[in-house]
Amino acid sequence: MNASAPPTTRPVPPRELAWLRSEVADWASQGIISEDQAARITTRYSADTHTRFSIGRVLLYLGGGFVGIGLIWLVAANLDQLSPVSRFIAVTVIWLTFLVGSELLASRRVSPPLVGAARLLAALGIGAVLFQAAQSLQVPAFEPRLLGLWSAAALLHGYLTRAYLPFLVGVVTGVAWWFTQPLWDGPSGLAVVMLFGAGAVLAAGLAVLHDGRLDAFARTWRAVGAAMALLAMFVAAIPDVGGDDVTWTFWLVSALVVAGVAAAVAVATRPGVRALEPVGAIVVLVVATLIGLWTTGTSTSDVDTADWLHAATSVIAYVLLAVALVALGTVREHAALTWMAMTGLVVFTTFQSFAVFAPIVTGAWLFVVLGTVFLGTGFLFDRARRELAQALDNDTSTSASTEGSDR
Amino acid sequence: MNRIAVTAVIAVGQLALVGVGVAPQLSARVTGDTYLMTVAPIDPIDPFRGAYVALDYPDLRHDGSEPIDAAGLGALDDGEEGAVFITLVQEGDVWAAGAWTRDRPDSGPYLACDDRSWQIRCGIESYFLPQDQAAATEDLLRDGAVAEVRIDGRGNAAVVDVRAP
Repeated sequence: MNASAPPTTRPVPPRELAWLRSEVADWASQGIISEDQAARITTRYSADTHTRFSIGRVLLYLGGGFVGIGLIWLVAANLDQLSPVSRFIAVTVIWLTFLVGSELLASRRVSPPLVGAARLLAALGIGAVLFQAAQSLQVPAFEPRLLGLWSAAALLHGYLTRAYLPFLVGVVTGVAWWFTQPLWDGPSGLAVVMLFGAGAVLAAGLAVLHDGRLDAFARTWRAVGAAMALLAMFVAAIPDVGGDDVTWTFWLVSALVVAGVAAAVAVATRPGVRALEPVGAIVVLVVATLIGLWTTGTSTSDVDTADWLHAATSVIAYVLLAVALVALGTVREHAALTWMAMTGLVVFTTFQSFAVFAPIVTGAWLFVVLGTVFLGTGFLFDRARRELAQALDNDTSTSASTEGSDR
Repeated sequence: MNRIAVTAVIAVGQLALVGVGVAPQLSARVTGDTYLMTVAPIDPIDPFRGAYVALDYPDLRHDGSEPIDAAGLGALDDGEEGAVFITLVQEGDVWAAGAWTRDRPDSGPYLACDDRSWQIRCGIESYFLPQDQAAATEDLLRDGAVAEVRIDGRGNAAVVDVRAP
C-alpha cells in the first residue's frame, strides 16, 4: 500500500455508515484496532454525496417532469396565436436553454439533483422539439419513428454526458418505439411475444456490456431485460396468442438481428458466468415463441389434456424464469429483479388460474389451489435465495483467504 | 472532449435527428412541384392543434361520398392497412385522384398516404393559419377554393397555400 497516496472519500448510504462507525468503535474499544486506525477508517467514508432519495431530489425530478410535460402540452394546445414556425422556434429555444443550462450547472458542480432536473427537462424538451417540428410541417399522422428518434436523441445526451435521467428518458421512449414500430406494420400476438423476447436479449446483452463501465446504466438495462423476459413468457402463455400468422416485417427482423448481435458481442467480450445472462434471455425468447406457437383452442368451457399441458408447461417455464431472476437479483444485488419476479409470478399464476382453470376448478377451491401454488413457490424461492446467498458468502470468504495466503 | 464541445455535439446531433423526423415534409416543400387541388372545409378549430383550417379534398375521396356527411379521404376497405398511394390525373386546372393502390406507382405524380388510422391521410388535411386569417379562409373555402400542394418524387406532400381558383 502506498502510504503517501491521499485518502479518497467513498460515498456510502447513511445507514451503512452508521453501522460501520458503531462496529469500528466496538473494534477500537476491544483493542482490535487502535483509535488512530479507527479514525482513519471512518474518515474514508461519507454519506454526504451518496445517491439516495430525498424529498428535495424527488421534488426536483417531479418538478422537472411536470414542467417538461406541461411545455409539450402548452405547445400542443394553447399557443394558437403563434404560427407553426414561431412555435417551433419557441420550443427550440426552451430546449436549448435547458440543454446548455444543465451542462453549465454541471460544469459548476451544482447540486447533482438540480443538474439532474435540468437535464431531465432538456431530454423532454428535445421530444417537444421533435413533435412540434412534426406538427408544424404536418406529418400525416402519429408515426412511431418519431418516438424512435426522440429515444435516440435522449440516449445521445445520456451517453455523451454520462447523465442518468436523459438516459432513462431514452430507454422509456426506446422501449415504446421497440413495440410500436414493428406492430405498426404487422400487428400479431406472436410478434409481441418475439419483440418482448428480443427486447430481453438486447437489454441483457447491453447490461453485461455496461457492467463495470456504467453501472447505473447496467442496472437499468438489466431491469428492462428482466421485465421484457417476464412479459414475453406472460404473453406467450395466453391461450391462442399465436393463432395469427406473423408478418415478417423489416422492423421485426431488424429487432431480432440487433438483439442477436448485442448478445453475441456480450458473450464474445465478456465470456464466463456473465454470458449466462444473454444466453438465458435467448432461451426465454425461444421457449416463449414455442409456447406462443402451441395453440390449443380458445374454448373456455372445454378444457382438454392439451390445455392442461399448455398451462402446466407455461407455469413451469414461468416459475423457472422467476427463480432465475431471483438468483440474478441476489448475485447482482439488484432487489428490483427479485420484486419483479415475485410480482410477475403472482400475477401470472392468478391470470392462468382464472383464464384456464376457472371453468373446472371454481370458487373456493380455485383460491385453495392458487394459495397452495404460491406457498410452494414461495418456499422454493426462499430456500433458493438463502442457499445462493450462503454459497456466495462462502465463495467470497474462500477467495478472500486465498488472496490473503497469496500475499 | 470538453463540456462545450460535448454540448455542441449533443445539440447538433439532436437537431439532425429532428431533421430526419420531418425529412419527407421538408423534401416536399423544398424539392416538390406545385399541383392545384379543389378543397372544401371541414371544421375550423382543433383544440389540440391550434388555429388552422381543416381541408377536405372531394376529388381525392375514395368512396365518393359527400364530404359534408363524412369528411376526409375515405378508406380502402380492402382488409389491409398501411401505405396507400393515390395517382393523380389532371382535370382542367386542378388535379384529381386516378387510382388508389397499395404498391408504389412506377411514375408520378402520386401522393404517398397511410390508412392505419380510421381513414386515408396524406399530410395535406390541414393548413395552419393565425386565428383571424383562419376565419377569412373558412369563408373563402365555402365559396370554393383550391389548395397549392407541393409533391416530391416520392409522393410526400405539403400544403403551401389555400386561395381562390
